[in-house]
Amino acid sequence: MRAHTQRSMFASMAAVMVAFVALVGCSDGSSTNEADADTSLTVGLLATPGNLDYTTTAGAAIPQALLYNVYEGLVKLDNDGAIIPLLAESWTVSDDGLVYDFLLHEGVTFSDGSPFTAESVKFSLERVKDNWTANGPAYLDPIASIEAVSDTEARITLSKPSNSWLFNMSGPVGTMFTESGLADLATAPVGTGPYTVSSFKTGDSLVLAANADYWGEAPYMTDVTLRYFTDATAQTNALLSGDINLVAGISQFQLVDQFKSNTDFQVLEGASTGEVTLSMNNVSDAFSDVRVRQAVMYAIDRQAVMDTANSGYGLLIGSMVPPTDPWYDESLADLYPYDPDQATELLAEAGVSDLTVAFKIPNLPYAVAAAQVVKDQLAKVGITADVTALEFPAVWLDEVFSNHDYDMSLIMHSEPRDVTVFAAPTYYAGYDSPSVMAKFAEADAADPTSYIDMMKEVTTTMAEEAAANWLYLQPAISLADADLIGVPKNTPSLALDLSTIAR
Amino acid sequence: MVLVVLRRLGVFATTVIVASVVTFLMLSILPGDAARIALGVQATEADVAAQATAMGLDRPAIVRYLDWFGHVLIGEFGTSTVSRQAIGPEITDALGITVILVLTSVVLALLFAIPFGILTAVRQRKPDGAILSGISQIGVAVPGFLAGMLLVTVFAVTLRWLPAGGWVDPGNDFGGFLEHLILPAIALGSVQGAVLSRYVRSSVLEVMREDFIRTARAKGLGAGRALFRHGLRNAAVPVMTVLGLQIATLLVGAVVIERVFSIPGLGSLLLDKVALRDLPAVQGIVLVLVVFVLLLNFLVDLAFTLIDPRLRSVS
Repeated sequence: MRAHTQRSMFASMAAVMVAFVALVGCSDGSSTNEADADTSLTVGLLATPGNLDYTTTAGAAIPQALLYNVYEGLVKLDNDGAIIPLLAESWTVSDDGLVYDFLLHEGVTFSDGSPFTAESVKFSLERVKDNWTANGPAYLDPIASIEAVSDTEARITLSKPSNSWLFNMSGPVGTMFTESGLADLATAPVGTGPYTVSSFKTGDSLVLAANADYWGEAPYMTDVTLRYFTDATAQTNALLSGDINLVAGISQFQLVDQFKSNTDFQVLEGASTGEVTLSMNNVSDAFSDVRVRQAVMYAIDRQAVMDTANSGYGLLIGSMVPPTDPWYDESLADLYPYDPDQATELLAEAGVSDLTVAFKIPNLPYAVAAAQVVKDQLAKVGITADVTALEFPAVWLDEVFSNHDYDMSLIMHSEPRDVTVFAAPTYYAGYDSPSVMAKFAEADAADPTSYIDMMKEVTTTMAEEAAANWLYLQPAISLADADLIGVPKNTPSLALDLSTIAR
Repeated sequence: MVLVVLRRLGVFATTVIVASVVTFLMLSILPGDAARIALGVQATEADVAAQATAMGLDRPAIVRYLDWFGHVLIGEFGTSTVSRQAIGPEITDALGITVILVLTSVVLALLFAIPFGILTAVRQRKPDGAILSGISQIGVAVPGFLAGMLLVTVFAVTLRWLPAGGWVDPGNDFGGFLEHLILPAIALGSVQGAVLSRYVRSSVLEVMREDFIRTARAKGLGAGRALFRHGLRNAAVPVMTVLGLQIATLLVGAVVIERVFSIPGLGSLLLDKVALRDLPAVQGIVLVLVVFVLLLNFLVDLAFTLIDPRLRSVS
């Protein structure tokens, strides 16, 4: 009995060892991936989608993966932020700016085989108001009626002219759906895009395959795997080891430099729409006085914050406008130069001394790093910032965003053209300027040229009134294998457009 | 015997209920609103309230708890509020991954710890024994994630022999599965192995001082034979206890390694679900963990009786 036990123990140990020898032996060159390596792409991303339904689930992760890849709208944004045709071949706008006539591409089908026609336009856009709960259904409020004139002609009439409406149509709310494809939006999206979803595992990966029946030019990459990481170092290690081909949007910039000196890789630096914002609760006791907010503007050396938190990567902006927006004004970056004396003076003028503020930040690496510098700089002008890092998203959303229970916070606002959202008096910043809101409305209804001028004017006003301290624009830095071409550099929209990537 | 089984079932049921109530209470107290997380920063308070109703979050806590527990009793874990998928398969997928990872690392740990621990015990007073003992002490002090990062830097980033992370289902691609398993299993196993080897060493040292070893030696057996014939079986009992505890801890504790290697295991799933306040999913995971740990304890007890016949009459 004993001998038997010993023998079987040795046998199992030997088996394990054999297994490990075999394992090491097959470790190189055993890639059993059947897809052609040349047309397969693996992308490393950080935020994972919880599900695939952006009609009811917020967050940038779902549109990043699906918009323009699986789902399409009538129009899209190109990489420089210009509105270009997508499912609409062309369109005309009536002189009063109210009637949009879209001419649609012919022969377009959804991935379930159903045809895309003007009826799909009517169905999809009418569905938004009642069925969408996330990603800004209110963006389509200007629509008064939608008419399917013929299979390839859709007429959309607005209740008032709106310059922002067509731009917003390039985002998630403009997505075209088919009635037969709504059964399982959370896992099986059906769109007209160049890719279809072949598998999705939340927290791990989303696999896309080229849509064989795509109406447009077929994408170069036929198999795309989006792999989700929780750790930026793991993400860059995966690129270095050859597991992935592209890191789209690195979040920890100290990891970038090692790729600059490595000829196997390329570093692409572009502009995002993510304004890293030091928000001041405009209705709090601490910051209701504009002079105190302006004091904070002068007290912060934004370059120093960017150097510490972002390893120097980024762009000083001074307003909530990135360079991809037509009303970007680069001079605003110098509106409040670093001037602690001026800050002290403004505080004295406002009769404030020994100010202590509740500085509640999300527990995200960039916010924690930046907040420390901000705290030190505020201390130099006599403002004590009590930093609390709140669990993100759950607790930060609850305390700061929903309950406005804070004096100061620091977070990146990543949605495109979110300055109008930020200005709303009910928003967490508590900035309440009826004239600014009126001006935004007026600008939206104006002719396209005046629109830009007026937007420039009103965003300047917000900066002058120190509605918040827009510290810097987060850079869009992508790291890629050296042989990849057509990798989108900027992120003017939420989408990661895979259709342009090739080798 | 029947009594023993009944007692075990009683302990099991009580633990499950207590654990689920505690989890439920803690998540209810924790700030954070699943509805707001789902809809994000663009939604109005009215939208969020409607979402909360749709998710059933506006019902009293006791009703929600009983609803959940009632479904669990008939084998339904419910639907995740985030992924809108059935929770059962999500948990079994993640559990499968973690169990494979943990068991492989335990095998590696044992392969290292048993010979190493015995060697350091036997050669306790020799210089090489002291050096080996020092090595295992260092192993104990190195955190698993650091071991993982070092392995990645050397074998994935520099040598490019193995992937830096991720997971491949063994059913899809067995070679790929092994490639992805080896580094995290070593990272997880090395630390456990170091800890276990300390226990093996002290356990062997203790046993060697026992009377029955002296008797065996007096009978004419050499030190090595005496140890192998009579000592190891006795030394195994305390080591088994530690091993059982280690495995139980690792089911969630492996999360550190899972994060380093981007492996979608059970600990990662639990953290993600807590972050999103996905209450039904968290409840389900905790339940599965409780069941697993209790099962493990049972197996360890069973192993004791196999190793040491004297324990059979006790239970």
